[in-house]
Amino acid sequence: MSLWVDMYRPRALDDLHYHQGLSARLKSLAASGDFPHMLFYGPSGAGKKTRITCTLRQLFGPGVEKLKIDQRVFLSPSKRKIEVNIVQSNFHIEITPSEAGNYDRVVIQELLKEIAQTQQVDLNAKQRFKVVIINEADSLSRDAQAALRRTMEKYMSNMRIILCANSTSRLIAPIKSRCLLMRVAAPDNTEMQTVLTHVSRRAGFDLPPDAAQEIIQDSGGNLRKAILVLEALKMQSPDLSGPLTIAKPDWETYCQKVANLIVTEQTPARVMEIRTKFYELLSHCIPPTVILKTVAEAVVSQVDETLKAEIMHWAAFYEVRMRIGSKKIYHLEAWVVKVMSLYKQSFYQFDISEFE
Amino acid sequence: MALFAPNGLLGSSSLDKPIQPSKESLPMFSLTGLLGPPSTSASGSSSSSVAGPSKVFTPTGLLSDSQTGSQDDDDDLPPIAQAFGIPAALIARAESASSAPGYAPRNSVRATTFDGKTLFFKRKPKAVSTVHRIRAPLRGFKERMGNLLEVPIHRMLEQLSVDTATKLQEADRQPVPSTPDPEETIEDTLWVDRYRPRQFTDLMGNERVARETMEWVKQWDWCVFGKAKGKKRPREGDEALEELDEYHRPREKLLLLSGPPGLGKTTLAHVVAKQAGYEVMEINASDARSGSVIDDRIRPALESGSAVGSTKPVLLVIDEIDGATGAGESSNTFIHKLVQLTYDKPWKKSRGGKGRDPNAKRPILRPIICICNDQNAASLVKLRARALQIRFARPADIHTVKRLREVCEIEGLKADSRALTTLVGIARGDLRGCLNTLQFIKSRNQEVTETVIRAATVGMKEAETSLVSVLNSLFTPLTRKRVKELALTEVEESKYVGRLSREVDGCGRENSIAVGCFAHYATLHQHDANFKRYEKANEWLVTFDMLSAAMYSEGDFALSQYLPYTLVPFYPLFKERGGQRVERSQADWESLVRTRANEEIYKSLARCLQTASTRRGGDFRHLVSTPIMQLEFAPYINRIISPPLRPVNSQVIKPDERAVLGRLVDIMSTLELQFFQERAEDGQLTYRLDPPIDVFVTYDGKRAADISVSRYAVRHLVAGEIEAQMISRKVDIVERAKRGKHDFFGKSTSGKSARDQDSFSSPTKAVDGDAADPPNKRARTVAAVVDIADKPPTDFFGRLITAPSLTTTKAAQRKNVEKKYRVTYRYKEGNSAAVRKPIKMAAFM
Repeated sequence: MSLWVDMYRPRALDDLHYHQGLSARLKSLAASGDFPHMLFYGPSGAGKKTRITCTLRQLFGPGVEKLKIDQRVFLSPSKRKIEVNIVQSNFHIEITPSEAGNYDRVVIQELLKEIAQTQQVDLNAKQRFKVVIINEADSLSRDAQAALRRTMEKYMSNMRIILCANSTSRLIAPIKSRCLLMRVAAPDNTEMQTVLTHVSRRAGFDLPPDAAQEIIQDSGGNLRKAILVLEALKMQSPDLSGPLTIAKPDWETYCQKVANLIVTEQTPARVMEIRTKFYELLSHCIPPTVILKTVAEAVVSQVDETLKAEIMHWAAFYEVRMRIGSKKIYHLEAWVVKVMSLYKQSFYQFDISEFE
Repeated sequence: MALFAPNGLLGSSSLDKPIQPSKESLPMFSLTGLLGPPSTSASGSSSSSVAGPSKVFTPTGLLSDSQTGSQDDDDDLPPIAQAFGIPAALIARAESASSAPGYAPRNSVRATTFDGKTLFFKRKPKAVSTVHRIRAPLRGFKERMGNLLEVPIHRMLEQLSVDTATKLQEADRQPVPSTPDPEETIEDTLWVDRYRPRQFTDLMGNERVARETMEWVKQWDWCVFGKAKGKKRPREGDEALEELDEYHRPREKLLLLSGPPGLGKTTLAHVVAKQAGYEVMEINASDARSGSVIDDRIRPALESGSAVGSTKPVLLVIDEIDGATGAGESSNTFIHKLVQLTYDKPWKKSRGGKGRDPNAKRPILRPIICICNDQNAASLVKLRARALQIRFARPADIHTVKRLREVCEIEGLKADSRALTTLVGIARGDLRGCLNTLQFIKSRNQEVTETVIRAATVGMKEAETSLVSVLNSLFTPLTRKRVKELALTEVEESKYVGRLSREVDGCGRENSIAVGCFAHYATLHQHDANFKRYEKANEWLVTFDMLSAAMYSEGDFALSQYLPYTLVPFYPLFKERGGQRVERSQADWESLVRTRANEEIYKSLARCLQTASTRRGGDFRHLVSTPIMQLEFAPYINRIISPPLRPVNSQVIKPDERAVLGRLVDIMSTLELQFFQERAEDGQLTYRLDPPIDVFVTYDGKRAADISVSRYAVRHLVAGEIEAQMISRKVDIVERAKRGKHDFFGKSTSGKSARDQDSFSSPTKAVDGDAADPPNKRARTVAAVVDIADKPPTDFFGRLITAPSLTTTKAAQRKNVEKKYRVTYRYKEGNSAAVRKPIKMAAFM
């Protein structure tokens, strides 16, 4: 049995619970027969992929839900094998090129050309084109994006591309200009409340509004997370009554601990302690940028108002450097030392001023 | 001494004798003629040839007496004298063999005396070549020139060249030239070559190694030279060698010599091969060494048994084998093919009348010696198992020093033994390096003293900087002693950038050094109130990382020369006299290892998700993507699969709990998460989750507090249910294939259709739905439960299994009777569906 996230995922544009305007636009686009390339962007868990599937269904009918999942092997220029999972139906194909790491260009080039150069075989198909969905488009390398540019124009008659990304900042401008940009914003609290109630009703129980509110508060606009939390909660305590403790993901709790360590004491020994904690987080494959962001947010919530901007500034500063560099732990620690130094400075100045 | 013999002869005979010694005669022979001028008998000649050497001097004296006046002759003589050297006898033999038969009848007149003795009178040669005439004036005795050149010039020249060749050979064979003449000999050979051991007995140090090698090579004798040779009288302890194959080859077909450079591995291989009567075929790093070389060059050579134009059997020496291709699993590497070569089975002589397969690989029948520096090189993994390994150790310094001193004596180099000991110490026993250094010193006409040695070996020592030593010099200032040693002034001492950056550069492992600095700087107990120094240190580390990342990602290796400078600042920031020594920190490495392990778990989880998504029509596929799986899915799936179930029998379970259990089992079996029984080291049985995704909620070795650790009995229960579910699913697939879709869907609900149907169902309905599962599934679950009950309780949780199996069957019976379902029974043995058959409930009554 699937998880609720998938089980109660809306399948048609009409079933979507929020962003009705967007749904209407998508619907008319699908009906117009002049469907453009599209770029869906928005925060994680806002419903980008759900909307893409719904649009596809609108375009091609229920046949698009007959999915076939297989693995393709590509050869890199250095003859290394790259395995990429491909989800496809008769009308579309879905790839995640970031699986190929540095060789995403090869995947893009070979796969897209292959698709673009063949026409739709099914004569009963509603549209003459096929759709290629590229997930995690913002992690495409420069080369891969460049490879995409010309293909998008050249094979317009056979193929449309739908890109799905968290933000457009990492996409090159030529790509953005070739796409119709679709922003999928995170749902607000009432919208989330509707969705959660809907899910719980379909799952066959009543969700107390307090519990729903707590879940929504915790999820921060991430609907996928909210539904996962709901399901976990339902499994943990089936009746959902009484005071609920919303379980945070463990890495988040751990990041909180790190933040506490930073704020409570600023000594070399503490630096070492925090370092081991960072190693632990990194070894759990938590992306370092996420670590930095979470810890920084937690620290900021605990410090004096005057320091907040400074701390965030340095977090951003070191995040950029971390992306450029390769050894993440250096940058994490550099930030920690910076924050400790800032904190200490402000703390002592405050003390001194009081003495005087 | 003997050199003069032929010449003296020549001259003297020409002086006194009108009757000329025959042209073709050897020096000895003509000498005979000299001594017995009136009547030379054949018997006399033979006796005189025996006595030859002793009489050689007389003619020399003669010559010098007679030829005092001619200086140019003297000039001419010494080279010839040298040329004739030791092997005069040898040349003479060759001479006689070649020329004697042809000339004898023409040049001598036979006569018989009255008493019946036969005499031979030599005829005077008539023709005088122009060459003789040209040479004659030099001698100054024009009228006697015919006599002077009893041997034609071309032969003399030939002889000369032969002589030079033998002389050279001689010099080669003798490691110790008898006359050291430093002024005259120009150094045209390296000492290393000049003093290379030529015979087995010349080898120094490592006697055991040499013997072992020789022994191994000798073990091939039976195979290579045939039975007769190499037979030795049986000794005790030889039994081990008895179980040889049909070719009597040694058990290991390869010999692997390994050891640091300069100890004489290659020389040993060559000397041993020569001594044992082999021709060496060498393959080294200068040759192409891909897998194809084995087929193209080596196999033909080994199969034909000997090199082209040689009668000796071939012995293959593969030098510097650690540089050959061989790492990895590819079957086309050099090493793999080489090892494959030794695997080839011997021919089966008779194969039931069928002819021998011409393509069958023949076994190798010749020894192969492999030489490497690093025995543990990754490429040699496969080879090591198949080879006899002999490891070269550094010979005791005394032996090396002794050999060096001998060389110095021969070369006339003054050397005190302390200096030599230092040299050997610095070179770490590398004899080749030592000899080269000595030759270098010699070429500058210096004496070998300790200071000279130190000056000459500066570079040698520098290359040896290790990671730890670099780190130590980054974090500790120079000691007083070291400063004195390097003779630095105070100003020079305070200048550290050049010194340290050179050191870091010399080590060549900037990344490891950076990790070392990172690990060490925060452990120092220095007062750093406002973290200024820490900030700076981190700034440099970050700079280093950005530079190196840019270097590797862009391939811009011109940056590499700047990398050392980014690490030098640790010295002014953190130098500390008498601080603790820097140890290599393992933290970074350990973290990396753990990351790898966790990545593997994520991968297997991703695989589980993918199979689930294939099965459920692409449902789970959105959860696979990288940050979502780590950040959202992994923590919550752990919570979803660990509900607080009570460890009770699944038959007495409350309906709401049953719903939870049912859902849990569904999710877990869809994701192919399973509990595996395992026995812990204390003998306690435990259930382990597989894939072990619970590591993602385990930080610092502690599980998240809000997830209850499911107890053994619960896991036991769940494991049983999952197993049952999995089996039923497999059966479903089989059934579907058997009966065809239509029939199947009429009776059971499963897969997508089930989900679509009961997606709106209430909890009670869900329970009902669970109960109203396909009949065969139901019955099988019951069977599984009985299964559990039958098991003897292994721990104290067992007491909770209270439900008698009677009620279970009754309940099952009731349900089944009501609903008129067909009932199947699964036998306990095995999980296969093969023994399954439909049976009426009545059969059980």
